[in-house]
Amino acid sequence: MIPLHSVCAMLETYITAYNNAVFDTDRDAALQVIAQALAAGHTPEEIVFELVIPAVEEMMAQLSRDLDANLAQHFMTAQIAAEVTEKMLEQFKQPPKTLGRVVIGTARGDLHSLGKRIVMGCLKTLMVEVRDLGVNVPAERFVEEAVAFDAQVIAISSMMVHTANGEQGCRKVRRLLREQQLENRFRVVVGGAPFRFDEQLYQAVGADDWAADGVSAGKVILRQIRELSP
Amino acid sequence: MMTSMEIVRAALQGNPAPRIPIFCNLLDQGAPELGMSQAEYYARGEHVACGQLALRTRYGYDNLWSLFYVGREAELLGCQEILFAEDGTPNVADYFLRTAKDIESFTIPEDITRHPVWQESARCLQVLRQESKGRFPICAYLTASTTLPALLMGMDKWLELALSGPDHLRAQLLGKCSEFFRKQVAAYREAGADLLLYSSPFGSSSFVGMRRFRAFSLPWMQRDLTGLGVEDLIYYCGTAPINPVIGEVMQHLGLRVFYPSPKDDLAVTKALVAGNGLTCGVIDDISMISWTPEQTRAEVERLCHIGMPGEHFLLGTAVMPMAVPEANIQAYMEAAFTFGSYR
Ligand code: B12
Repeated sequence: MIPLHSVCAMLETYITAYNNAVFDTDRDAALQVIAQALAAGHTPEEIVFELVIPAVEEMMAQLSRDLDANLAQHFMTAQIAAEVTEKMLEQFKQPPKTLGRVVIGTARGDLHSLGKRIVMGCLKTLMVEVRDLGVNVPAERFVEEAVAFDAQVIAISSMMVHTANGEQGCRKVRRLLREQQLENRFRVVVGGAPFRFDEQLYQAVGADDWAADGVSAGKVILRQIRELSP
Repeated sequence: MMTSMEIVRAALQGNPAPRIPIFCNLLDQGAPELGMSQAEYYARGEHVACGQLALRTRYGYDNLWSLFYVGREAELLGCQEILFAEDGTPNVADYFLRTAKDIESFTIPEDITRHPVWQESARCLQVLRQESKGRFPICAYLTASTTLPALLMGMDKWLELALSGPDHLRAQLLGKCSEFFRKQVAAYREAGADLLLYSSPFGSSSFVGMRRFRAFSLPWMQRDLTGLGVEDLIYYCGTAPINPVIGEVMQHLGLRVFYPSPKDDLAVTKALVAGNGLTCGVIDDISMISWTPEQTRAEVERLCHIGMPGEHFLLGTAVMPMAVPEANIQAYMEAAFTFGSYR
């Protein structure tokens, strides 16, 4: 049997190699590292919990420190991590414990799905169950699906001002939650370009929180889930 | 008295002028100005021209737009559906490049000016030219080859193809988009546009990082622009930051006019461009939704204070959201005339 500390040390080198590949937005190289770790006898559970998740967390820290961090890196971090996690989960001996549930979609009138996709990738990797409601989602549907899925968080993405700040998006979701007395049950988190320009906008539209990029979206949403169900 | 066109030319060349040029990019505001729905307004080139002329007369800024909305370029190439909204910009609702086969088989029309979509744009330009009589610069919006696929297949699919390949498919798509770009440049110049906004978000290092900027974006931008002449082109990354790339864009592409992000440090932009070209100061018009007129005024003053020394400066907005209150547009204009005066 390999002593525990050397398993950790080995995983360390994989984490570094994996992160370097992701940082360089090199998907093939990242997947190769995962294949090597599997071949070396690491279980799918180890790969997810001791390699991919720490790697995403490390990337979060790295990207938030690095003033030059770019969209391609955020996209690849989320993309590769979600891809690997999904593959590994199929091979888990027992289904993992999920940390919470989120419904996500783009606001009514908005067909821009990239931001949502990045956020979803990060959430999946963090063991949050995500139901994707797609694009151009009416406020009513956000609420209905959140109830049906027993979600803790409603996540709304908008790329344009009229879908972020308009009457049919988050503002309406908030109004419906109030009318249906569901405000204690769900948190609303928003994101997308307009919220990055005006950092107070999330409050004006009635959201509980917002995040500037996909990797911090993961953190913010997890925090909201934990506050609701400690 | 100098005309708007002369003031813009003076700023470009660094010649004396009584004030800075003031751009204000109002697009969707044209429909309510004429009392029309967005769909009705955008159906006809005359409407857009009349909306542009009426808005310019109302506020007194220097530029006119021949742009309807960015999705027009997708319509020229095969997009069949646009989603209109009464409180904001129309959006592409049909990403018509869905499969590798679609990418391989779609073609750029031999003569784009025969397309009915182009003909409305041409009509708009014709009315703008007639009415402006050379007094106001007419702007056109053209998407760079590396960004256009976002409008044809959706940004997430495009980012995936751009970053992970397959290489031959990416090159094929970019080749077509570049060909289209070059045809549009010729068509817009022929139709009388004075300034061409070269919209190139993938030409921002905040999109792809410096390494990919050099290896991917720059060569394709070179291919877009080679031999076309760039005197009338404005470098714009959709309000993504541009400071880190300005030096290389100047050196390798010869561009001289830069329209940065409100998040770029304007003092740095100005220092990088210096007297070699024109720096635009861009106000954060998303924050203008919630600012007071006093805050708007203060921001105009700040931008002018940084940008005006050494001249070669223009003040502008991004794509002004409809939610920006009228009082703030007025405040922006008044402050621009006050603080933008060289006298
Ligand atoms: C690239 C770009 C384009 C490209 C491609 C856009 C695309 N995604 O398909 C092109 C050139 C085609 C384009 C077109 C338009 N654009 Co544009 N564009 C941009 C730009 C530069 C970046 C947008 C982007 O794709 N970012 C990358 C994605 C991944 O970032 P993101 O969506 O913000 O998502 C991240 C975070 O916000 C966060 N996040 C996202 N969703 C969520 C959700 C939750 C719950 C959380 C927590 C976090 C979160 O995580 C994500 C990942 O890191 C921005 C300006 C800017 N600096 O942001 C303007 C911008 C978004 N565009 C704008 C506009 C207006 C348009 C047009 C409507 C213009 C027009 N008049 O036609 C068109 C629409 C075209 C269409 N679809 O029909 C405006 C919107 C504001 C406004 N005025 O309404 C902006 C802000 C520019 C500006 N300042 O005026 N655009």
